[in-house]
Amino acid sequence: MSEEKTHGSGAVEPGDTSTRVGAEVIRERGVDPEELREKLIDAIGAEFTTYYYYTNLRMHLAGEEDYKEITEDARLEDRAHFELVVPRVYELEGSLPNDIRDFADRASCPDAEVPTPMDDTGGFDTSDLEVEDILEVLLEAERCAIRTWSEICDMTREADPRTYDMAQRILNEEMDHEAWFIELLSKERDGEINPAGHFARGEPGDAPYSTNNRFNDSA
Amino acid sequence: MTQSSHDTWTVTIVVPEESSLDEAGTTSEIAVNADETILAAARSAGVWLPADCQQGWCTTCAARLTDGEVVHPNARRYYDADREAGYVLLCTAKPRADTTIVVDQYDDFLEFRAANDKPPGNSKLNR
Repeated sequence: MSEEKTHGSGAVEPGDTSTRVGAEVIRERGVDPEELREKLIDAIGAEFTTYYYYTNLRMHLAGEEDYKEITEDARLEDRAHFELVVPRVYELEGSLPNDIRDFADRASCPDAEVPTPMDDTGGFDTSDLEVEDILEVLLEAERCAIRTWSEICDMTREADPRTYDMAQRILNEEMDHEAWFIELLSKERDGEINPAGHFARGEPGDAPYSTNNRFNDSA
Repeated sequence: MTQSSHDTWTVTIVVPEESSLDEAGTTSEIAVNADETILAAARSAGVWLPADCQQGWCTTCAARLTDGEVVHPNARRYYDADREAGYVLLCTAKPRADTTIVVDQYDDFLEFRAANDKPPGNSKLNR
């Protein structure tokens, strides 16, 4: 008789909406979901700030249309990474900081600023700005992202397949980005051929790994 | 002093008893070249220390310097107050003497940064 059966719900009481089994199963497997959630906020803080800073970096690759387009791919894909993981933060009972300054301060990667000082009028002093300097900023930003998402893969492997799936998709694209900027910087700075091994995206910011199984359509 | 002609220093890594690292309660010695970061040398030697950005920014690798000397030529966010208080960021720290460090100090370091109104202290703790 169905009315005599109780719901099998483990340590969470039937009908209890104050606790999420989706988080408790992670804890049961040895990962603190709150610690993971906070690390995710740091990581997507870096994706968000990178999206912002890449806008400036792309603009200053003036006349280098191929570099601009590849930077645009990376920029839009970093935003896609932010969008991909935001729902996961809320699933783990977190939220984005109310103050964007806090979000930037806790981002897990450095600000990817245009590598030139400001001039007397408040604009960028571009008199000594070199393309190779911008490419180096882009490369190091991607390397930081690779380290961050590798850490999250390590943290979630065999404990949280949902976050792991997101992290490894993002990691795939960050590794693509590093390869692109190694190729471009090698050629621009050193005159060396150092192929990435793949070609540009079909559409700007295609994000073939992180958006081919969307959790939402906001990106 | 164990500086060789190749500028290699001995770094003693102390993992506190209360650490959550697998090596909690252990002390190990590694050789670190002057142009090598302590984090990279430790990981190469099989001592897995926490880190994330590896650019001297996120502070995941924070440690305490109890003896010796290090420099941080490439750290993106390392303040004079950090150095004066004896905190180091292992991902960018390079030895300039035989050195002893106590690792896994991230939580304490966040408190320190917050007390000094430096990021990411308050942005992490005032949630």
